[in-house]
Amino acid sequence: MSHSMIATTMFALMMLLMITGQRVFAAIGAVAAVAAITLWGTGGADIPFTAAMKLMNWYPLLTLPMFIFMGYVLSESRIADDLYQMFHVWMGPVPGGLAIGTILLMVLVSAMNGLSVAGMAIGATIALPELLRRGYDKQMVTGVVQAGSSLGILVPPSVVLVLYAMIARQPVGQLWLAGVFPGLLMAALFILYICIRCRLQPELGPVLPAQERTHSRAEKLRLLRAGLLPVAIFAVMMVPFINGWTSLVESSAIGAMAALVAAIIKGRMTQEVFENSVRNTLGISCMFMWIILAALGFGAVFDGLGAVKAIENLFTEQLGLSPWAILILMQLSFLIMGTFLDDTAMLVIVAPLYVPLVQALGFDLIWYGVLYTITTQIAYMTPPFGYNLFLMRAMAPPEIGLADIYRSILPFVLVMVLALIVLMLFPGLALWLPDYVYNR
Amino acid sequence: MPGFVIAYVRVVDGINRRIGRLMMYGIFVMVAILLWSSISKTFFLPSLWTLESAQFAMVAYYILGGAYAIQLNANVRMDLFYGNWSPLRKAWVDVFTIFFLIFYLGVLLYGGVESAWYSWEYDQRSRTAWRPYLWPIKLVMCIGFVLMILQAIAELCKDIARIRGFDIDAPKPTEPTH
Repeated sequence: MSHSMIATTMFALMMLLMITGQRVFAAIGAVAAVAAITLWGTGGADIPFTAAMKLMNWYPLLTLPMFIFMGYVLSESRIADDLYQMFHVWMGPVPGGLAIGTILLMVLVSAMNGLSVAGMAIGATIALPELLRRGYDKQMVTGVVQAGSSLGILVPPSVVLVLYAMIARQPVGQLWLAGVFPGLLMAALFILYICIRCRLQPELGPVLPAQERTHSRAEKLRLLRAGLLPVAIFAVMMVPFINGWTSLVESSAIGAMAALVAAIIKGRMTQEVFENSVRNTLGISCMFMWIILAALGFGAVFDGLGAVKAIENLFTEQLGLSPWAILILMQLSFLIMGTFLDDTAMLVIVAPLYVPLVQALGFDLIWYGVLYTITTQIAYMTPPFGYNLFLMRAMAPPEIGLADIYRSILPFVLVMVLALIVLMLFPGLALWLPDYVYNR
Repeated sequence: MPGFVIAYVRVVDGINRRIGRLMMYGIFVMVAILLWSSISKTFFLPSLWTLESAQFAMVAYYILGGAYAIQLNANVRMDLFYGNWSPLRKAWVDVFTIFFLIFYLGVLLYGGVESAWYSWEYDQRSRTAWRPYLWPIKLVMCIGFVLMILQAIAELCKDIARIRGFDIDAPKPTEPTH
């Protein structure tokens, strides 16, 4: 059997196992273990464990539990309630204003956290019920929360970019800074879409009734103080890191502590919140770590097969494509794979194959990291297999069905594709800030 | 169900629950190590031991906590079809597919024991300035794999019981908890 046949068989088997509903990490790990043993006998049996040792030496991965903990503290303690309140009062008088406020809320939440799940949890539990109660269209609202949560891994800090940085051997600081403007661009495009849509169809996002808009100027200004919290947490985390006083991982620990302290000061850290945050952090960290562990084993088998060379050969020699055509093909393959693979697993399995190729083609790896991140987010949200869709169904109120979720996401996916195209045409959008700060 | 199966499930659930609930506070151990690392770096001499201790803490955290995570149903499944099945159907499918999990864990354990034994025999140390011995963390990992295998077998027992119309513990949740 040729090597590409083996690779294809491995993917097909993995997909089959996943469809049975067995745990994702078990599906990936089992296929990797079976393949390693059939290919290389008892020598191959060490591969899954070697992956565990490699994982241990991926020091920056320590940011993962830190950000997960931070996300749970922020969402469980409902500190974000005040933030929502702020946007509610300030944006309420505009058509579609609460939806715009939700996107802005997501930008702030993203700046405090490195995962999209936290934004989704905050959006689904705080913003979604409020918006539905004000007569906002349920498909519009569902789309807003999902699209907004995708900003979580683009606006720094971002765990996905940390993982990418480890695989592509690029500095995390530059990658994070590169995500800033594309993230803001995407947020701006979402807001633009909401504005236009609500102007054309005002019934989708009604203006707050007059009796709810009686806040005095002083009161409105007082509400702005809620915005200080995310700014403070972001600064405490990022300033020492960008200045090189603390390492990336140390900064994330400082951020985790800052969130905890903020929740305690605000009097929101009850026994129950504490228990839920700590327990769920273990659960979700284990979920991610085990998927990455299994995917590393899978990737090692791929590596042993010489898949990098095979793919490079296929794209450049056999198909004879131009660099841009190859790049676009790669993005498309991410979209397809993302429909059935978890994004961390996809990163660990596929990025080691693609990154050398991207480099060989002469593209900037920092820029590609941002491109990759947006692509996975799109893949993550597109039906029928998007993980985000299932997460959303688990968190959303019961009146929102799977069909609503599917339909809600389409316009936002188109907006994201637009952002992706803009970023491909103007790489400077991502690269200007890191160039400026680090004088590359 | 035979009494010893129920006893086995209870014992394994209990042990892994206690270990997991202890490990979940490991997040604060990691935070403490990292905060000390940043403090010592800023005000005194940088500590040599923090980087690797934090790595060891992370490994212990997710491997020893893995069995508890299985109990919490924290591991995502692709629930396109799975999510719509009845508890009985889920149990039927899981009874077979759980062996893939057990097999994977078994291979991990095999590699782990071999590697831990090597480290013990040759007093292998990490190649850093702090030079910690490597066998303790590998031993911890092996223990974690064993605990997870025990937990996976307990899950298998629960599914078999469910098929036979007997619930050893709470019913199977319809949605994974995130």
